[in-house]
Amino acid sequence: MSNNNKKWFTLNLNSKHKQQDSSCGCGKTSEGCSSHTKKEELSNEEFFEAAINASIGDERHKDGFDQVFDVKMDRRSAFKKLTASLLIGAGAVSSCTSVVSSDESKEKAQIDWEEQFKGNYKLMTDEEKEATVNRLVRSYQLRTGKTINMSSKNAEEDVLFGYAFNISKCQGYMDCVSACVKENNQDRNSQMQYIRIHEMKDGKGFNFNEADDNYYHEVPAEGHFYMGTQCFHCDNPPCVEVCPVQATWREKDGLVVVDYDWCVGCRYCMAACPYDGRRFNWSKPEVPEEEINKNQHYLGNRLRKKGVMEKCTFCVQRSRAGKNPACVEACPTGARIFGNLLDPNSTIRWVLENKKVFRLKEDLGTEPKFWYFMD
Amino acid sequence: MRNHKYIKFVFCTILFVIISVSCKHKEDEYHSITDKIEAESINYKGTSISSEKYLEGMKMMEVTENEITFLIPTRKDKIKSYKCTECHTQPLVKMQAKDIKKAHWNIKLNHATLNTMNCITCHNDANMDDLKSITGHSIDLNKSYKLCSQCHQKQYKDWTGGAHGKRIESWATPRASMTCVNCHNPHSPSFSPKWPARFNTQKVKERK
Repeated sequence: MSNNNKKWFTLNLNSKHKQQDSSCGCGKTSEGCSSHTKKEELSNEEFFEAAINASIGDERHKDGFDQVFDVKMDRRSAFKKLTASLLIGAGAVSSCTSVVSSDESKEKAQIDWEEQFKGNYKLMTDEEKEATVNRLVRSYQLRTGKTINMSSKNAEEDVLFGYAFNISKCQGYMDCVSACVKENNQDRNSQMQYIRIHEMKDGKGFNFNEADDNYYHEVPAEGHFYMGTQCFHCDNPPCVEVCPVQATWREKDGLVVVDYDWCVGCRYCMAACPYDGRRFNWSKPEVPEEEINKNQHYLGNRLRKKGVMEKCTFCVQRSRAGKNPACVEACPTGARIFGNLLDPNSTIRWVLENKKVFRLKEDLGTEPKFWYFMD
Repeated sequence: MRNHKYIKFVFCTILFVIISVSCKHKEDEYHSITDKIEAESINYKGTSISSEKYLEGMKMMEVTENEITFLIPTRKDKIKSYKCTECHTQPLVKMQAKDIKKAHWNIKLNHATLNTMNCITCHNDANMDDLKSITGHSIDLNKSYKLCSQCHQKQYKDWTGGAHGKRIESWATPRASMTCVNCHNPHSPSFSPKWPARFNTQKVKERK
């Protein structure tokens, strides 16, 4: 490439003229890069092989830890790539080797190290899930001196969660919103809320353009009706499809969940959701210590960090234990119905079979498990 | 020529394999969620999750209405001055005399019109401890829903199924539901307007 003074990059896969292949992963043209191939003449096949080697190289053969640690690279890129890990590592090493630092800080560094290199929750075995939950509980204890209760309970067999919302009952009191914020430890500063209650004009149908989801006057207002939206836990969730790192997925009991530690914060899911069900932490979420709900689940209301997605989980910490979600419990009108769709005798099934139910944007094929109905 | 045919054959086979493999039907086993629910609930065996631990200590009673059996909270033990006959020792006319201390003076009936209802539509002046149906049959205070269902048939049907009213604590079985009087004041059953629980000031700023 440097030979013929081209200013752009071409692969020249079929070109006849000789060329010195000087491209490699590190972007250097001179010596000093170990992945540099020095063959003078390359056949097409060899060139192809070399090109792949230069770009992804060892990653084709190695996975997991090897990809991170057993990699040939020069000093500059090594420093670049390992900065984040080094910071933690440095902390770990300094406190582990130090004679002065306490056992507690050593343990903390150990926990931080293991948390940094843990895998995706979705792929963890039950033991690994328990281990990470224990680490998080211990880490919280070390930092604040308070004990939380965090669960890693898996989806139960023969359970598929579903939700029904009675439009004629909702009066717009927003008790559900308050209960949700408290239950799920949402950031108080940005006033993040999973649930939106829309005030709609009678006779205009579901007109979200004209609806008001942030009213403050005595309710129910004359000539209006109210309906709530939140994450609908679609059975064919578009947010899951678009996630580039598989940090969000649908559990066996139908809950669409997020691994906050695996999320990279790209917000693709937010764009993909047709129902505005997802929320992003633009700043570090803060909850006053005395208001923190200490009954937590790894996939649910545990404390989040800056730059990750979150959303309604049907209160996984409650629902998997058998309780109703906080919004269902808080609703004074009984407009919210929650239950197991697979139980033929459940109340949610009775609603689906006996009331005229519908869902939002059914034609998209997202199959939300959140039905609306009227008296 | 034979070679040509052979290539054609191989090409077709590969194409067929690619098409049959690449079609995304792995996850979408069912056409719709309703199909999925129907199919997967055929072999429903119940779950290990139970509502029992959440209902512990609550006084409940089992009722069977519309062939559906569930639990409702008892009522009599929650009324402060039950039994009524502890005070109502003599007929009402005598108790309304001037020299006796007033009771229930603050109860205002705000339920239908006086053409339809007054106190004795539901209360039995011959037997104060029980309620009474329109036709004069006695109704136990614990089963006051029987009284309400005389007029509110639709709500009653929805309530037995679970579309009206609220579940208590848990979605799991055994089902426990509130009964009419747990949410509605029988003397003034409608909900009064109030202010929303919160107002999102941040949302206002973001949308400016």
